[in-house]
Amino acid sequence: MKFRSYLVWLMLVVVCLVSVSGAPPVAFAAGGDEFKEWRPIDQSVFNLREPVVEKDADAEALFWEVRMADEIERNLDSGTVRTVLDHYVRIKVFTERGRESQSKVDIPFGKNEEVKDIAARTVKPNGQVVELRKEDIFERTIVKVSGTKIKAKSFAMPSVEPGSVIEYRWREIRNDDVLFYERLPFQRDIPVQRVKYYIKPLDLPGFGMRYQTFHGQGAEFVKEKNGFWSTTMTNMPALHEEPRMPPEDEVRTWTLLFYTPADYERDPNKFWAKHGKLIYDKTKKYIKASNEVQQAATTAIGNATTDEEKLQRLFNFCKTQIKNTGDDASGISDDERAKLKANKSPADTLKRGMGSGPDIDLLFAALATAAGFEARVVNSATRDDVFFDKNFASSYFISTYNIAVRVGNEWRFFDPGSTYVPYGMLLWSEEGQESLVSDPKEPTFVKTPMSPPEKSQEKRMASFKLSEDGTLEGDVRIEYTGHFAIEKKEEYDDDSPAEREQALRDMLKAQMSTAEVTNVKIENVTDPAKPFIYAYHVKVPGYAQRTGKRLFLQPAFFQHGVGPLFTTSERRYPVYFHYPWSESDGVTIELPAGYTLDNPDRPAPFAAGDMSKYDVQILTTKDGRKLIYKRKFFFGAGGAVYFPTQGYAQLKQYFDALNKSDNHTITLKQSAEAAPAPSN
Amino acid sequence: MFYRLIGLSFVLMVAAAAAAPAFAAGDDTPQWLLQAASASAPAYDKDVPAVVLLNDQTVTIGANGLIITTTNYAVRILTHEGRAFAVASQGYATDGGRVRDMRAWLIRSTGNVKRYGKNEIIDRVSDMDDVYNESRVSLISASDDADAGMTFGYQVTSEERSLFPQDEWIFQDCFLGINACLPALVSRYQLMLPSGWSASSVTFNHNNKLEPNVNGSSYSWQLINLPPIAPEAASPEVTSLAPRLAVSYFPAQAGGLRTFSNWVDVSRWYSELSDPQAAPDDALAMKAQQLTASAKTELEKIRAIGRYVQGLQYISVQMGVGRFRPHSATEVFAKSYGDCKDKANLMRAMLRAVKIQAYPVLIYSGDRSYVREEWASPKQFNHCIIAIKVSDETQAPTIVQHPGLGRLLIFDATDPSTLVGDLPEDEQGSFALVAAGDQGSLLRMPMTPPESNHLERQTEVSLAPDGSINATVQEHSAGQSAARERGMFRQLSRPEYTKMIERWVTRGATGARVLKVEPKDNTTDASFALKVEFTAPEYGQLMQNRLLVFKPAIISRRESLFLTEATRKQPVVLPPYAYRETANIKLPAGFEVDELPDPTKLDTSFGTYSTTYEVKDGSLIFTRTLVQRASTVPVADYQKVRGFYERIRAAEQSPVVLAKK
Repeated sequence: MKFRSYLVWLMLVVVCLVSVSGAPPVAFAAGGDEFKEWRPIDQSVFNLREPVVEKDADAEALFWEVRMADEIERNLDSGTVRTVLDHYVRIKVFTERGRESQSKVDIPFGKNEEVKDIAARTVKPNGQVVELRKEDIFERTIVKVSGTKIKAKSFAMPSVEPGSVIEYRWREIRNDDVLFYERLPFQRDIPVQRVKYYIKPLDLPGFGMRYQTFHGQGAEFVKEKNGFWSTTMTNMPALHEEPRMPPEDEVRTWTLLFYTPADYERDPNKFWAKHGKLIYDKTKKYIKASNEVQQAATTAIGNATTDEEKLQRLFNFCKTQIKNTGDDASGISDDERAKLKANKSPADTLKRGMGSGPDIDLLFAALATAAGFEARVVNSATRDDVFFDKNFASSYFISTYNIAVRVGNEWRFFDPGSTYVPYGMLLWSEEGQESLVSDPKEPTFVKTPMSPPEKSQEKRMASFKLSEDGTLEGDVRIEYTGHFAIEKKEEYDDDSPAEREQALRDMLKAQMSTAEVTNVKIENVTDPAKPFIYAYHVKVPGYAQRTGKRLFLQPAFFQHGVGPLFTTSERRYPVYFHYPWSESDGVTIELPAGYTLDNPDRPAPFAAGDMSKYDVQILTTKDGRKLIYKRKFFFGAGGAVYFPTQGYAQLKQYFDALNKSDNHTITLKQSAEAAPAPSN
Repeated sequence: MFYRLIGLSFVLMVAAAAAAPAFAAGDDTPQWLLQAASASAPAYDKDVPAVVLLNDQTVTIGANGLIITTTNYAVRILTHEGRAFAVASQGYATDGGRVRDMRAWLIRSTGNVKRYGKNEIIDRVSDMDDVYNESRVSLISASDDADAGMTFGYQVTSEERSLFPQDEWIFQDCFLGINACLPALVSRYQLMLPSGWSASSVTFNHNNKLEPNVNGSSYSWQLINLPPIAPEAASPEVTSLAPRLAVSYFPAQAGGLRTFSNWVDVSRWYSELSDPQAAPDDALAMKAQQLTASAKTELEKIRAIGRYVQGLQYISVQMGVGRFRPHSATEVFAKSYGDCKDKANLMRAMLRAVKIQAYPVLIYSGDRSYVREEWASPKQFNHCIIAIKVSDETQAPTIVQHPGLGRLLIFDATDPSTLVGDLPEDEQGSFALVAAGDQGSLLRMPMTPPESNHLERQTEVSLAPDGSINATVQEHSAGQSAARERGMFRQLSRPEYTKMIERWVTRGATGARVLKVEPKDNTTDASFALKVEFTAPEYGQLMQNRLLVFKPAIISRRESLFLTEATRKQPVVLPPYAYRETANIKLPAGFEVDELPDPTKLDTSFGTYSTTYEVKDGSLIFTRTLVQRASTVPVADYQKVRGFYERIRAAEQSPVVLAKK
């Protein structure tokens, strides 16, 4: 369920209202000489030949300072707020790549925003200063729609060469805005020797500004002149991208700024208790069972007797009888969606036979209530942005909602509002996460289960015939379940059959360039429950390599042409898989006449405790004419999806071993009677 | 910041789509659109996403130089992915151009019509990444509303002022990124001239000369039933495939507008624009002297200045007259940035300072077949390079003989990876205009031979009894092979480059541990060298503890052509390239060769390939040699060229079998 917390917005409104009605006015005071004049450059900067923070960096910021002041306009009955930001960046360029990446500057701004007082200059290695001319600052309307514009002030730094120092500063004004849940990054696209933020919060009786730093230390705020506070971090490496890395804000250092009322509950236990009660109060009316809902529940449940059966039928009812209007594959156009009235209750959703994802979740809760279950709305954390920590007393990071139903002594979690999420599962980002079960008395955190590997399976089967020239030909069927299926369906549900087929062909061509694919069938793409299926006929000339008297065959057809998962020896950030998964392959290959298997051995099985296991069986039919290859692999059992950088070498070794085993080749030798007669 | 820029733009576009009005009555749907929508189209391949029913452009030339263009356009969406073509789009330059009016309609299968007007127009910069550019585009997107079976149509009227009385028109909607064009039922270009004016035309990429219908001073060219052009690997550019009309028009009386009756006229025009900008000042001249102080030969001087100019940052400045005329060399020198014409002009000024004469060269970058002799027009070019007059002492594969100017060394100062003595692949063999006033002319650019673009690899491998290997790979590349290597080396940071090499090595040898990566960009002879050392466990597979099987082609070649489709519609275009590898593989003690692959020898008109295997002194010496000649292989020979590359792929997968003694 994907509705974000309206409470965040509620708080924003409260702050603005307070600032208008009760706050003493303050002057527009942000800025100061150090942001309006060039600061002297020490000779050591010119002497610097190599980056300090990160070896091999092409450019490095010597400092990156931002001064941010929330202000209230003076003496106006209808007072307004704004944030004034003064930026000052000084960068040392070390290489031509650094020059390329840092010389062009775009400062975008939107409605209610201003960018002004831009100044920029290049100081060449010999100390010569080249100022950016005012006429070389170009204001561009990046895009304009119906009178709304996104603009940018753009310029190119003059005379930049490796060894130069470039610096620029500007003022940004965000009208009708305050620093509310503002993320201050300490790591950027280039390393920074010193990052400094100056903050001047609004002086609001009854409100204060708070901050929390993530993935970094030493960001204490110290008092500065003119009501500012500052925080500094030094030697901050650049943020880099790596495959399978955690979300950006889980690896970089940043600080969150936000306002809270003075009576803000700082004790996490008390905060969550209050928050959970608030959610309960706000949602209880939506999960009450009206007569219509009661009747629908009874019909849907039918003759089901166990709790499991009843819930499954209610879940299926929501999935199949209620159209999800938020789904891009629902067949509802944007026009039609814009015209739809909001459902005010589960009865509305039931009556109209359609609703948004949240509507469907609430209907499920109401149906479960009607069936005698205890159902609640739960506020769930996700792990696709920042990993939730309940010791942080704020609902900012706990932003989605699901439904919990008590079965026996435990809470079970459901999300029928997400079209392709099967019964018993949640979206991958919501699994293994703390969820606050709302309650009028004692809201509690319960961890959602992480679906085990067998729930997300790639099951592949193939039946082939191998020709003596090495051509492999036959039929293939692949089934995806669980998170695999969700991802596939989300990726392809809005595509045409031709587009889906082409995507499959492209995927296969990337693996086996000579593959000729026909009779493609792609099934259950928009089915909410059934596995996503590929079926096709394939012919791969030259699949097996032929020598004078042998054929070499890789029986792991589905892994043919697939490279190792990790290719680099160094790793900067942890490895993060989204979910545990499993693979099950069965490949039958009819051998060419005149060839027999030459004592085929199988790659040795291996495992990583209970977390992962690889096992292959290579069998032959009694007549020796068919090879049967069975491969099973799973990974992430026990919810092991996050691997710290220190364990990278071991993890890489494990997946290298997997790739090696998948590339295992067996030999077919020419039988004596089939071998060509020796010639003289 | 860039990402934020994109993000915000996207938000606005989404907002525009969401703000689209509800269905409106179709009573204002123009008759031409209704008529076009009723047309029946031939059956196309199922992957053809849309067919243009009508593309009708009317260009009205005012005697005052104002050009009004009205386009009536209708496209039928054939597949779900064809929705992307339900977009009205009109580019313009803010200095003198604008879109006067833009309206669009979507005719649903039911006959309902949705109307789009000014509230749905998205007006944006043409190129997000260009800081100094006044080109913009207005568009209306109906992609979110459209689907297969619907017809989208639009009418747009724009105005501009052109410097020359010439125009180009491509009869099909083509997409350079995917190298494909939509089919078109009716495609028409109409030119309305002031009374007494006249026009002439040339048609390219079309079998027959296309004559206009002329009515007074109105001209109309039309083609019908144009087939789709589907994307294919290594095919000619669509700019050389889709029918193209080139029109020149002439005022009743000479004067006023600049006209071009031949290439010398174009040369004069560009020389007038650019020559005054190439004057060096003292600072520039001093820099040129300083750069060439240690140069002993003419070529060394040119290389020194070429390297300097290539090293300046490329920043496109497409504002006002800057779209045509280079900025003064002194200004570009002071700012240390500029675009192609600025760089060519600065280089020219610096060479002049050391008494070497040079000329700007106008060329089309991206398609060596684009520029045609038959139409003398600056509109055929999109790029500027330089021709340097050299003496007989200077030798390089990119020297051409100009009938009036003598030996000219052609060089592209914008491409940072292609050094003096070489030319980017897509510019080789192209026609280009050497702008030298009265002496200027259109000239065929040089085409370098395969040997000038070679990659030579020497691999030393020690194979252990358990199948593990220690390997050293040394590569030396030249010409465009070196340019590609250099391009990657310069584009990536050192850690990224090392990772890229690791990916390349581990793709062939799983689990490889790369011990050393030593790239060397040799700017003096324009070559590039790379040395990689690595180990890989179990590279060879030990079978039943008696056979050791391995592939001697351990790591892949850098250049591979995959012609995977069974049939072909367009010729195959092959650039000149040569590759040779010698792998010396020390075999493990206790093993002997049981089977070697058969040597391969392929010899065709477009290339040769061979592999050899020799066992000598306990080592296997494996060689593979590819020579790919610059060719355009006709469709009739597709199976030959496809078979050629398939056999190469198969040969490089062939294993060697060792057996325990």
